Amino acid sequence: MSSIDLTLQIWRQKNNDSLGHLETYFLQGIHTDMSFLEMLDVLNEKLTKEGKDPVTFDHDCREGICGMCGAVVNGVAHGPEKEITLCQLHMRNFRSGDTLVIEPFRSKAFPIRKDLMVDRSALDRIIQSGGYVSVNTGGTPDGNSLPIPSSVAELAMDAAACIGCGACVASCPNGAAMLFTSAKISQLCLLPQGQPERKRRALAMVETMDKEGFGNCTNFRECEAVCPKSISIRNIARLNREFLVASLLEG
Amino acid sequence: MELNSRVPSGSLADKWDNHQFANKLVNPANRRKFTVIVVGTGLAGASASATLAEQGYNVKTFCIQDSPRRAHSIAAQGGINAAKNYQNDGDSVHRLFYDTIKGGDFRAREANVYRLAQVSNSIIDQCVAQGVPFAREYGGTLSNRSFGGAQVSRTFYARGQTGQQLLLGAYSALSRQIHAGKVTMFSRREMMDLVLVDGKARGITTRNLITGELESHCADAVILATGGYGNVYFLSTNAMASNVTAAWRACKHGAGMANPCFVQIHPTCIPVHGDYQSKLTLMSESLRNDGRVWVPLKEDDKRPPSQIPESERDYYLEKKYPSFGNLVPRDVASRNAKEQCDAGKGVGNTGLAVYLDFAEAIKRDGQATILKKYGNLFQMYEKITDKNPLNEPMTIYPAVHYTMGGLWVDYDLMTTIPGLFALGECNFSDHGANRLGASALMQGLADGYFVIATSIAHYIGSTPMERISEIAPEFDESRKNVADRIHRLLRNSMRGPSGKVTVDQIHKELGRLLWDNCGMARNKAGLEAALAQLPDLKEKFWNEVYVPGTGTDINQSLERAGRVADFLEFADVMVRDALAREESCGCHLREESQTPENEAKRDDAHYSHVSVWQYQGDNQAPVMHKEPLIFENVTPSQRSYK
Amino acid sequence: MWFIRFVTSSIGKKLIMGTTGLLLFLFLCTHAAGNATIYMSSEVFQSYADELHSHPLIVMVFSLVIFVLFVVHAGLGIFLFLENRRDPGCRYAVNTRVVSNSLASRTMPYSGLFILLFVLVHVFGFTFGPEHVPISETVKVMLSGFFYGLFYIISFIILAIHLSHGFWSMLQTFGLNHPRYNVLIARLTYILPAFFLLLFGGIPLYFMSGAGASF
Repeated sequence: MSSIDLTLQIWRQKNNDSLGHLETYFLQGIHTDMSFLEMLDVLNEKLTKEGKDPVTFDHDCREGICGMCGAVVNGVAHGPEKEITLCQLHMRNFRSGDTLVIEPFRSKAFPIRKDLMVDRSALDRIIQSGGYVSVNTGGTPDGNSLPIPSSVAELAMDAAACIGCGACVASCPNGAAMLFTSAKISQLCLLPQGQPERKRRALAMVETMDKEGFGNCTNFRECEAVCPKSISIRNIARLNREFLVASLLEG
Repeated sequence: MELNSRVPSGSLADKWDNHQFANKLVNPANRRKFTVIVVGTGLAGASASATLAEQGYNVKTFCIQDSPRRAHSIAAQGGINAAKNYQNDGDSVHRLFYDTIKGGDFRAREANVYRLAQVSNSIIDQCVAQGVPFAREYGGTLSNRSFGGAQVSRTFYARGQTGQQLLLGAYSALSRQIHAGKVTMFSRREMMDLVLVDGKARGITTRNLITGELESHCADAVILATGGYGNVYFLSTNAMASNVTAAWRACKHGAGMANPCFVQIHPTCIPVHGDYQSKLTLMSESLRNDGRVWVPLKEDDKRPPSQIPESERDYYLEKKYPSFGNLVPRDVASRNAKEQCDAGKGVGNTGLAVYLDFAEAIKRDGQATILKKYGNLFQMYEKITDKNPLNEPMTIYPAVHYTMGGLWVDYDLMTTIPGLFALGECNFSDHGANRLGASALMQGLADGYFVIATSIAHYIGSTPMERISEIAPEFDESRKNVADRIHRLLRNSMRGPSGKVTVDQIHKELGRLLWDNCGMARNKAGLEAALAQLPDLKEKFWNEVYVPGTGTDINQSLERAGRVADFLEFADVMVRDALAREESCGCHLREESQTPENEAKRDDAHYSHVSVWQYQGDNQAPVMHKEPLIFENVTPSQRSYK
Repeated sequence: MWFIRFVTSSIGKKLIMGTTGLLLFLFLCTHAAGNATIYMSSEVFQSYADELHSHPLIVMVFSLVIFVLFVVHAGLGIFLFLENRRDPGCRYAVNTRVVSNSLASRTMPYSGLFILLFVLVHVFGFTFGPEHVPISETVKVMLSGFFYGLFYIISFIILAIHLSHGFWSMLQTFGLNHPRYNVLIARLTYILPAFFLLLFGGIPLYFMSGAGASF
């Protein structure tokens, strides 16, 4: 185990209405086995003991599945390592003397709450507008009554793995939420259970997505590159198809 | 405290039907006149909110995270059990019931466990209908695997993310009801207090974590689905925000806390590697199917594993349990790892780890086969430890994972406070002294989708209730109490941090104390020592802790301080419970009560009961009540894995 | 109305960009086929031009359609560019692009605007060029000029860059993304622009280098 010294530049902002700025901190003796968030914990303990305001950041499960954590490290959402969330990023990815610029996930649709904490409820509202199968509890047919080819279930699972962290939005130069929206639409349009509402869902979710202030997709592919769950833009292609067909035939 | 379990009459198989028939109903058109509060949006909370809203009740749902989709149910990896018997290997409702009650070492209520097994099949149907992408066979039918030492394949799974997929299913049902206006969702809210009016649970006080505002919410019934208290140990596999606050506030208002000492410690976690560590990561139990557990034969052997010859390795599980080998139940595997490390044979930097070796499996099945089975786990392990399990053995150590204890509930899942219900990990009901793998997801969803609705209907239908609103004096008083407490937590914040300790420092101290004395193996002396130290720690917390910032803003230090304050009080009950239960059962091992082979020895004559603790006041010892456990359909037997 | 809702939605706008892009691409194909006759001889080229202009109605309808396509493609492109810029591109203190080959995608609006400029120059130079002079002669005279020829070559390089993102992007927008064909698409998205670059870029080069002196 070795340790490194780092210069941190962290975005500090009191709330969405105030102006923010990058503040510089120096940290010495950071163990390379630490996770990125543990490094921030160390910083916060230090700030607390100095009587300063600790850095506010969202985090919960710290094992890469809840989707709560996330920040942009040196311009890359969730940091330099691929296919992981910020909580799974370990300090061995950095060298002593490195400067890390840590900024919140930015998008017009994600107001900043404080420091690195943002409000991603716009993503919830996209799901609320149609990201479900409208089935009440009880009275559902037997689980095996509709056979689903293994390959289809796997494809649906690929899309369903989305953790809703918002890194796709944060990394998109246009701030688009297409990867997020397409993941849910793909999951449900692939499965037989999602068929009855297929067209309505595509129209409603895209409408909400647009209304919430997310940008247009211009196929930059940055979302796919930073997605901690490797959600493919193949899902976006599928969403485009779904939306076209639904627009032509429904409503 | 009256402990009426309200177990319905009739044969075991008929009890649930009889109960549903006997329970009062609420006319569908009348349901919109009633409001139910649900705290928590994990499997139990989200499914209960959605189900009650679908039936017509107005639901107010609260969660601590920014979105209901992030509750810690999402981190469950393995799967969900159901008695479908799709594999035709002899499974049945009765077998699932028996396995669960036996796995819990006969410390759970028969009727509740049987109902759990009965509704398990409907859960799978429900989730499939929601579009949960369970693993499938090539023919399109649902795939199953055997899990956690079960003799049948009854576990349904969606890769290693079953919890995530089930939670997203429940979340989608909840989202639909939010869209329909039947559920009002309050995210980033922490429940700070329960509000009782005329002795009935009628609302809660919450703190808006963004604005710091204290808010009152009134309802006709309150459901707690706030998960377990594993974070009392500081290090656990729980999410950082998991806490006991909501449940403990309910206890302070008269809800009984049942079996708080029953804590499951999972054997295959990545070991602690430094004092900065904030949480532990679970590796799926399935690793033990192919991995061999060993330690060096000699004490203090610091050689790297590759330099320790076969003859100097101790495969202690295989040696001790020839028939089960590395696949012994969780508690047995955990305890044996601790035993080896206590004997000085632990490996790694800290000496608190054992090896889990895949070399033989790789030689036998080939690297490709092993990677296909465990590739994602190996990758996860390598990401965290920077070591590749293909080249050297994994190191593992047990970690706190799940709490079987929780709020005492009757057959209707109602606590000892009328109108207050507890669901999922938050209650104590189904897992006894030890939970089987893939049963937590089953219980959370059973409670939320299929049990709570009739309980709520019966409670509302049979209880005369006054119309009240948030302006009732009880809400005022509750808000005042919460504000006072926040004020006390912040009283050092003006004076600066000089010489003060941080919240995490106290939390780590508490965790260490409990892990050492109320962890995998417990004894009278240790428990009494811990009990004696707790008041000092509590005093240190209230006198010396420094919480920066104010209460009128986002203040994560303040949030943590409030939770740790409750953990400190809760730890007292937990240790007392462990002290009072002078037998070993399931995960609770009292060193005084062991078989000659160092196995857990139950004492059914004296301890076949649920211990329910009643809060008596801040500086008074809680009082224990007993709910006797009566087994009419199974005969408690001694577990043996030899 | 569904159509209004469609064209005002984010995906709808993309689909219109893709469709007009596709049609312009097809136009480019026919144009390329026609221009390829230059490489044969001035007579063949001249007879192709004469044949084309003996059907004035077709030419007029065709030109009008292409004009509309251009207006829609460029207009909507500029609109999207401005709309996306409201979310400032440089919102981070450190800007890092993870996708390595993003030059083409990043410069789409700029390459597009340059192509628009080129089209204007091209149309005024040739379509509304000197009357009563055979088109083959105009081509030779104009493209032999160094700066004019250079401008053409630069334009064709920029067109190739624009297409290298545009072709793949268009298929992705139409929903054509399948592991089985992705390799092919990924190759075509470079091969096709390169082909156009060779074919079109060769013409000014042909004249500038003096190889077409006897044209």
